[in-house]
This record gives sequence, structure tokens and C-alpha cells, in this order.
Amino acid sequence: MTTVRSTETTPVVPIPSGPARILTAAGATGTAASAFLAWTWTSGFPGDLTVYGYPGGLQWLTLAGALITLLLTLASYHLPGLRWTSPSGGNNGILYAALGAAATTWFTLIAISAELGGLANLEPGGWAAGATSLITLLGALGLPLDRHPRGAGQGITRYLGLRLAKVERPLPPVRELPSPIEVLLIVVAFATGLYAITFGLDTDYGELFTAYLLLAGFTVAALTKSGLVTRLRALAVKHRTVTTGAAFAAAAAFPFTQSSDQYTSVATNILIFATVALGLNIVVGLAGLLDLGYVAFLGVGAYAAALVSGSPASPIHVHFPFWAAMLTGAAVSIVFGVLIGAPTLRLRGDYLAIVTLGFGEIFRITMNNLNGTTGPKVTNGANGIPRIPDLVSPGFTIRGLHIPAFDFGRKHSIGGLELGRFSNYYLLMLLVTAFVVLVFARVGNSRIGRAWIAIREDETAAEAMGINGFRLKLLAFALGACMAGLAGTVQAHVSYTVTPDQYTFAEALPPNSAFLLAAVILGGMGTISGPLVGATLLFLIPKKLEFLSDYQLLAFGLALIVLMRVRPEGLIPNRRRQLEFHEADIPDQAASPETALTKAGA
Amino acid sequence: MNELPQQLANGLILGALYGLVAIGYTMVYGIVQLINFAHGEIFMVGGFGALTAYLALPGGTTLWLAVPLMLAAGITVSTLVAVGAERFAYRPLRGAPRLAPLITAIGLSIVLQQLVFSFYPDAKKAKVFPKIPGDAFQVLGMTIQRSDLFLIVAAPVCMIILGWFVNRTRSGRAMQATSQDPDTAKLMGIDTDRIIVLAFAIGAAFAAVAAVAYGLRTGQVDFRMGFILGLKAFTAAVLGGIGNIYGAMVGGLVLGLAEGLATAYIQHLPGMHLFGGGAWKDVWAFVLLIVVLLARPQGLLGERVADRA
Amino acid sequence: MTTTTLLDVRGVTMRFGGLTAVNQVDLTVGQGEIIGLIGPNGAGKTTFFNCLTGLYVPTEGTVSYRGTILPPKPHLVTRAGIARTFQNIRLFANMTVLENVLVGRHTRTREGLLSAVLRGPGYRRAEAESREKAMELLEFTGLAAKADHLSRNLPYGEQRKLEIARALASDPGLLLLDEPTAGMNPQETRAAEELVFAIRDRGISVLVIEHDMRFIFNLCDRTAVLVQGQKIVEGDRETVQSDERVITAYLGAPFDGTGSTASEAEK
Repeated sequence: MTTVRSTETTPVVPIPSGPARILTAAGATGTAASAFLAWTWTSGFPGDLTVYGYPGGLQWLTLAGALITLLLTLASYHLPGLRWTSPSGGNNGILYAALGAAATTWFTLIAISAELGGLANLEPGGWAAGATSLITLLGALGLPLDRHPRGAGQGITRYLGLRLAKVERPLPPVRELPSPIEVLLIVVAFATGLYAITFGLDTDYGELFTAYLLLAGFTVAALTKSGLVTRLRALAVKHRTVTTGAAFAAAAAFPFTQSSDQYTSVATNILIFATVALGLNIVVGLAGLLDLGYVAFLGVGAYAAALVSGSPASPIHVHFPFWAAMLTGAAVSIVFGVLIGAPTLRLRGDYLAIVTLGFGEIFRITMNNLNGTTGPKVTNGANGIPRIPDLVSPGFTIRGLHIPAFDFGRKHSIGGLELGRFSNYYLLMLLVTAFVVLVFARVGNSRIGRAWIAIREDETAAEAMGINGFRLKLLAFALGACMAGLAGTVQAHVSYTVTPDQYTFAEALPPNSAFLLAAVILGGMGTISGPLVGATLLFLIPKKLEFLSDYQLLAFGLALIVLMRVRPEGLIPNRRRQLEFHEADIPDQAASPETALTKAGA
Repeated sequence: MNELPQQLANGLILGALYGLVAIGYTMVYGIVQLINFAHGEIFMVGGFGALTAYLALPGGTTLWLAVPLMLAAGITVSTLVAVGAERFAYRPLRGAPRLAPLITAIGLSIVLQQLVFSFYPDAKKAKVFPKIPGDAFQVLGMTIQRSDLFLIVAAPVCMIILGWFVNRTRSGRAMQATSQDPDTAKLMGIDTDRIIVLAFAIGAAFAAVAAVAYGLRTGQVDFRMGFILGLKAFTAAVLGGIGNIYGAMVGGLVLGLAEGLATAYIQHLPGMHLFGGGAWKDVWAFVLLIVVLLARPQGLLGERVADRA
Repeated sequence: MTTTTLLDVRGVTMRFGGLTAVNQVDLTVGQGEIIGLIGPNGAGKTTFFNCLTGLYVPTEGTVSYRGTILPPKPHLVTRAGIARTFQNIRLFANMTVLENVLVGRHTRTREGLLSAVLRGPGYRRAEAESREKAMELLEFTGLAAKADHLSRNLPYGEQRKLEIARALASDPGLLLLDEPTAGMNPQETRAAEELVFAIRDRGISVLVIEHDMRFIFNLCDRTAVLVQGQKIVEGDRETVQSDERVITAYLGAPFDGTGSTASEAEK
């Protein structure tokens, strides 16, 4: 970040900014209006885009994109009441919003033409939407944008001739709001977030999901550029407890928004995947230990839970209660973590990567082999341990208050709303996730967490500061294993069956070690929200893009490469990187003796 | 009949295969400290390159002519893919957080597999690769398949060429300098970008030789063959001492021997009768790795790098 | 002057293969002393330091601190009460200035995983104490205003000071400074001198490696000269300055053909 801060504020398309702004606003209005027209003549395209006067399916996304663009454009007129949407005052946000609207619209138009066989399938409404979205984009390109000067361009937008610069515009000071209103804002933000995520989860055809991702990506970029995200983040930091509470309340509210178990099962698996990714983040993100076989610990937990679950296929004929099964899974995972860690953590750096990769493979092969023919009969080999009964939390009585037994496999009715099997597990898993988040947050910011980060930064220096590197690395490794094991116990019960193939290095579907690592790094190492976001995306994208069928993994691989190219630090930058951004304003003082002198001495 | 010589021969041949692929890992790691996860797939595309050349030749072409052409095609494909990957995927990430290139490598590995899977004709299942026809040789109680002759010749030749290149040529010495200290090497006027490309290219060429050998030996290639072999080869590189090119070959040979012997003999050990045979060979390979790393953390031929304060 | 002996090094020898980087060096540091260790480039000074701090296991000889022999493990040496800085600054670049110093408190605090998760009153008290102590050290070194900056963004001179603050955080009885003025201009060097005296005034002994003779002689009660891994002389300013061998080592002797034997061991 020490490169020159030479950016200029110029339009990409040379038109005066006044007319450009009018063009943007008019275009966005037009696009929004065109969402109410029919785009195609047949309901053969999913979502039914043939209705006049009411948007359907993908048109909702175009409408949303156009409205966000309009909002940001109007805010740039300093309209009272709208300033809050764009505190930075830059125009790059408008461009990103316009890009989002255009991308969504054109994706829809192309999808219609491609699937129904030709442009003839587009109705005038579709053409109008396409044209107006391009007009909006043209207008936005005519606005004064923060750009690199010619020749100094960096980043991916250079190739398009946009040369957009990542400028952190200073935000005007915040107007102090009364605390309850700030809390209310956080709640509104989370409600919006919950709605947006639920919408994404509930998309029932791939086109809608793709367009949703396009729009979501551009909108987040737009709101980041407009400064709104920074404002919200500042609020969130200020009211940390409220934010965390709101986040979990929003997550817990999810099953209640669902009428069937279809998407809660997806959401449960996302939570499992995300929790394991967060556990891996302790190992990779905090302690800097590259673990390429992490999924094995999920497997250890799942197998341990399956063996004591009372499944008829288990050679151990015991049926542990709910809490004991979870503790068993976590404990066995810790044991394995220590067994693997103790001999290898004395080695430096990348050797650990290969040993853990090896361990991951050994685990899978061993589970395959313990089938009675190629090895002792324990795991049933490739067929796995099937028919794992549902968890049952036993009933008990405290001080006369009877808590009834709770069967996770049954439907329950809470406040008139039916909660199915997956909803039960979803809520259980949410508790596990909350626990892992709590552990991560508290340990990460403690004596132990600081020691981990110190080891990650420079192990020799850390040792010289009195840190027992081996012991702390082992602790990180064991803790990470424990978290994965805990998630594994739930996973075994959610999916009824554990098989060795669920725990491979790389496979088309998560969780596997490669996807887990990708979730951590893609999301942002060392952060809490990073792996959660990364895991959600990595789980949903392959799931929702089934229309890509054979090309799904290919698309995933390409996405990894492109994302690392665009954002090598991950989607959610570490707090430390944010600090760095702020300090980029301070000139490099390495060669200035005055500052050192004035404060020298004791 | 004593099966030990046979097991030794099998182990050495397999080990030479691992060693050739391991050189690619070790060279790239030695210079840019990157575990090039996609190297197994570079090996795989080399095999498909060679197969394409074979299929393009008129039927009945003698293998004396076909094998060199296949080799040339395999090397070309592998090298182009590796150099392209370096240029467009890895190079832009220099200076990025340490794990970013690793994720790129994993992505690249998936992409290469899927490209072959989706677009190579009929590659969804294993493709038949030619074998060298004729009876096996009987030497000192060992049975050597004719197809293995290729590897028996190619592996030493490759090592001799590599040794000559690294020690005797300007580029080779520049490569050594770059792996010792890239910044200083750059100051000394070495074009480190070129050296890095060269390391990728040499590794890829060797992987392609290995892929042809693999194809001839097993009579087939498939889009997944790079993963487990790449994993083994990386294990071999670490076993031998990563960054050391001879170590890679030694590590490969040791790993191959260990696998061969474990497959044959572990089940005869008391109490281990259920843990022998092919099903467990990968497990023993990794156990060996862990044991070696515990005894010699720097690998068999690696130099102990004292941490300098 | 009779003081209690803090550090007692006896016959420390370090060989790398056939190369003897440090040869039979004895050295003592008493309570409240500032001792200098000088020598030409490659004399084995840093190697000697690494032997003291457990980074290297000496081939021969013992290092004892307050009468007990130190195990050759860096973290145990630090726990015993010897802290160090590095010649090429080794801060935790992506941690803040305050966090760097807090890491230095590691050995003097006990809070483990469980207490970090539970955050009981004991934990919070210990954490508050650590922070207080760390801030006090940042005040002492003049870095308090930059507590929340990333350490890598500090200018060079302040990074050196932060390394010292971090080392002091482990409550050492003896501080080892490895070329604390490398790359500093005269004013900064003088400021560093002040800082070392101030550290001594806190009751901490200092062993300092330097090239800069003037710095060392202004500062130290005694100075040892290391040449080619051997201690050739030790004493006060006059003793050292008048010693023939020191002059030869620094200015070079016409027929010295073995000048580079020890230089490879040390960067």
C-alpha cells in the first residue's frame, strides 16, 4: 500500500457530469419501470416473465438493482434524507450499482434467448430493460469517478479501460444518534440481511441464483464504495453485543421463515461447513499452521458419534445420550489432533501441510479398509455406518420444573409454527456455531491468541519472547480438532449415514479439506465472519448451479483462481488489514530522523 | 521362490516414477516456496498430450517412432500448461499473502482435471494407452515388463541431464542462486522471472516423461491420475529434502521401495495380518514420511537450515 | 566493585561442521552492569548471543543465570529472566504496537484457554494488569501515542525501540541487545544510549553487541572483544583501546591469512 496515491477523479466516458447524472437517474427509473413489463412471451422460462404490471422472478432482481442505483444517484444530488446512503460522496458506488443492475438484466435477457432459442423470444419490455440499463451504465460512466491515471492502472478493471481505483474516501464525521436508534439501525440492517440471505437460499432455479449472486456482489461493492458499509461496521463495532445478538437472532429466525424442510437442510449443512471452517481458521488463520487434512477431524467426530449412536451397523452396541455423544466426538477428535500434532508440530512450516494431507488420506483409506476383509471390522468400509438414529435430548427435572425429552427427528410446533427435523438440527447446530464463534472471539483476543499470532508472524521471535511454540501450536491444533469433531457429531446425525467418501481432500461437494481451506482463505483469514461467508458461498454455489452439471467443478476452480487474483486477502479483510488501510495516509517515515529524535530516549 | 528381488524391482520402478514427478515439486518449491498443487495435473495433461499424439499417428506405427513423438507431445503440452499457469495464475500473486497462491494452485488443479474430464473425447473414464508389446524379461529372478524399459532408461537420463543443467550451465547456476536468495540474485542481474518460468518448465517436462512412463506401464491414463500420484510425489520430495533435486529422486525411490515391501511383507508381521496388501500401501507410505520427518526433519538429503537471528 | 553475578558463561564453544564460530568464551555480567561485546564483522558475536538465548545449543560450555544452568530452549531462557532483541528487527509485523508488547508479557502471565473463554474476574484483572504494564513500557520508550498502529508501519528507529519495549515486558533481569544502533544516525544513537542507561536505572543489566566503539565506550562498564570466535581481551575502555590485538583485529594485520574463518557462521 505504499504505492503513490495518484488517483484522479475523471469520467470514463467524456460527458459533462450534470447530464451524466440526469442520464443515470433517468436510466435507472426506466429500468425499474421496465421490470413491470413482459420480457418474454412464454412462461417456458422459469419465473414467468410474461406478466404486465407485476414483476416476476428475475425481474425483481433488476428492479432491486435499478432502485439501488436510483437511490445512490439521488443521494449524489444531496437530497436531504438520502445522504446516509452515500456518506463517502464518491460516484464509484453508483457505477457499481449500475453495473449490478445491467449485469442482472443482461444475464436474464441472454438466459431467455439462450434457453428459448433466439432473440425472437424477447418481448419489447425485455428490450426496454436492456436498453435502459445500458443507458444507466453509460450515465454512470460519465460521472467523475476515482480512477488511476493512464498508465498507472492496477487491478482487474485495467483490462476494461475503467482503471477504477480503490480509494478509501474519508467519511464526514458521524452525526451522533441516540443509542436506541443506533441499535434499531443494526436490527434493521440484520433484518435486511436475513431477508437477502433467505432470498438467496430459497432461489429454486439456477438462473435466479446466478443473477442474485451478480446483484449481491455488485451491491455490496456499491455500498462499500458509497461508505455505507463502513458506517454500518462502525456501528457494529460500537454495539458489539447487540450486533452479535442480532446476528444470531437473525440466524435463529431463519427456520421460522421456511414453510418446508427443503432449505433448512441446506442451511444446516451450511452451518456445519461454516463451523468447521471457523475451526480451521483457528489453526490456519490464527496460528498459521497449514492443515490440508482438516476434514479428517470432522470425520473422526462423525465416526465416533456414529459408533456410539446405537446404529445397528456399529460394532459397539451402545447408545449414548445426546450430550455424551457430542462429548465423545469432540474428545476423540482432540485425541487424534494431539496424536497427529505431537510428532509433526516440531517441524517447521510446510512439512506440516504434507503430513496433514497424508493424515487426511490415511483417515479415509483406513475407514474404507476397516471393513472386515482388508482390515478389522469396525466401520463397514465404503458402505459406511447407516441408520444413525436421531439425537434425543433426555428429559429431566430441575427444581420441580420438568423439561421434556426432545427428539430431534420429530416435528415440533413452536408458537404455531411447525419446525421439522432439519429445523431442529439447524437450531442445535446454530448453538454449536455460536459456541465456536465465542471460543474463537475470546481466545483469539487473549494471551493465547496473541501467542498464536506471534508464532504465525515469526516463530523464532515468539520463542524469544518466552512462548513455548510447540505447546501452543499443539493447543491450536487440538482446539481446531475439537471444534471440527463437535460439528462432526451433529453431522453424523443430520445425514443418517457416515461414509469415508464424505471426508476427502477435494470433491465436487463441500465439506472437504480443499473447500474448507478455500472457505477460510476466500472469506478472510483470522476473521470470524470471513469463513462463515466463505463457507456459505462455497456451499451454495455448487448446490445452486446444478444446471452447470458437468461444468460445476470447473466453474468452482475458475472462481477460486479469479477470486484470488482479485482479492488475495479474502472477501472480508482482517482488522489488521483495515488498520493498514487507515495508516496508508501516514507518509512513509522510514528515512526521517526528526520524528525518531523527538521521541527518543526515556 | 524368493519374491524379494521382484518386490525390489517393482518398488524401484514405481519410485523412479515418483521421483521424476517430485522434481517438479522440489524445484518450484526451492525457488518460490510454493507447493504447486497443480503439478499432479501437469503430469496428467502430459499423459493426455502423449495419448493424443499416439491417436493422431496412423495405425501400425512402430513404437520406436511413436514413443519419441508421444514424449515430445507430452512434454510440449505439460510445459505449455505449466508456463501458462505460472504466467497467468501464479505470477500476479507474488507478494500476496502466502496462502493465496496455494488456493490458486488448488483451483488450477480442479480446473485442469475438469477440462480434461469435460472436453477430452471420452475421457470420463480411463483411456487406453499403448503398451510395449512382447514378453517380459527375466533378470536375476526379477520379471521386468517391456513397458518398464522406457522408465528404466528415461529416469537416469533425465537425472543426468538435470545434474548437468543445474551445475554446468549459466541458467542452472542462476537457478541455484535464485533459490538461495532471490533478492540478491536479482541484484546480481539474474532475471528471476525467467528462472522461475524455467523451473516450472523443467518440472513439467519431467512430469510429462513420467506420464508417458505411467501410461506405458499401466496401459491407461485417466483424468484423476494426477491427484494421488502428485500427492505421493510431493511426499517423495519432502522425504528427500524439499528443494534438493537429487533428494527428490532418492525420496521417490525410498517411497516406492517402502510401498512395494510394505504391500508384500507387512501382513507377515505378527499381529499385522490384516494390515497388509495393496489396500494399506498408501497408509504405510505416509507413516514412513512421518517417521522420517521425525528422525530427520530436513528430509533425507536436505540440509539443516539453522535459523538465523 | 562487588556485585552479584547474574550471567555466568563458561567455556562456550559453537562449531558448525568443521567451523568453530565461537571458541571457549567466558563472560560474566553482574547485577546492574552494562557490558559491551564488540568485534569485527563475523567475529561470532551474534552466534554467541544465540548460544546464550537457547537458539543454538552450544557444542561445549554452560550458560548459567543466577546460579542455575539454563536449558537451551529460547522460551525457558526468557522465562528465567533473559530477554533479547534481534540484529535484524523481528517484530510481529501484523500486530499492533501494544499487542507486540503484550506478547512480551506471555511468560509472566498464566491465563490459559479455559480462562480466556470464561473471562472470569481473575482473567480480566490479569489482562488489565498486562495492558497497564505494556502501556507503561510504551510510555517509557516514547511509543505510547502509537499503541494502536501496526508495528510494521513504524519508522525504523521506533521499531528498534518497540523491540526493546517488547523484551522489557517479560520483566528480565538481563537484557541482551544485538546491535541496537545499527542503521542509526548520530542523534538517534545518542538517544539509544540514554535509553540503555534508563533501562539500567530500572535495575536491569544489559549486555550489548555493537560495532560502534564510541557507543560502547560511552555506555559500558566493561567491554569484551571477540575476534574470530575468541575473546581476546576484556576490561574497561583504556584496557581495550590500548590492546595491540584489538587494533590489529580492527585495522588488520599485514600477514593475517585466516581472516575469514569465522565469518561464514554469522551472517
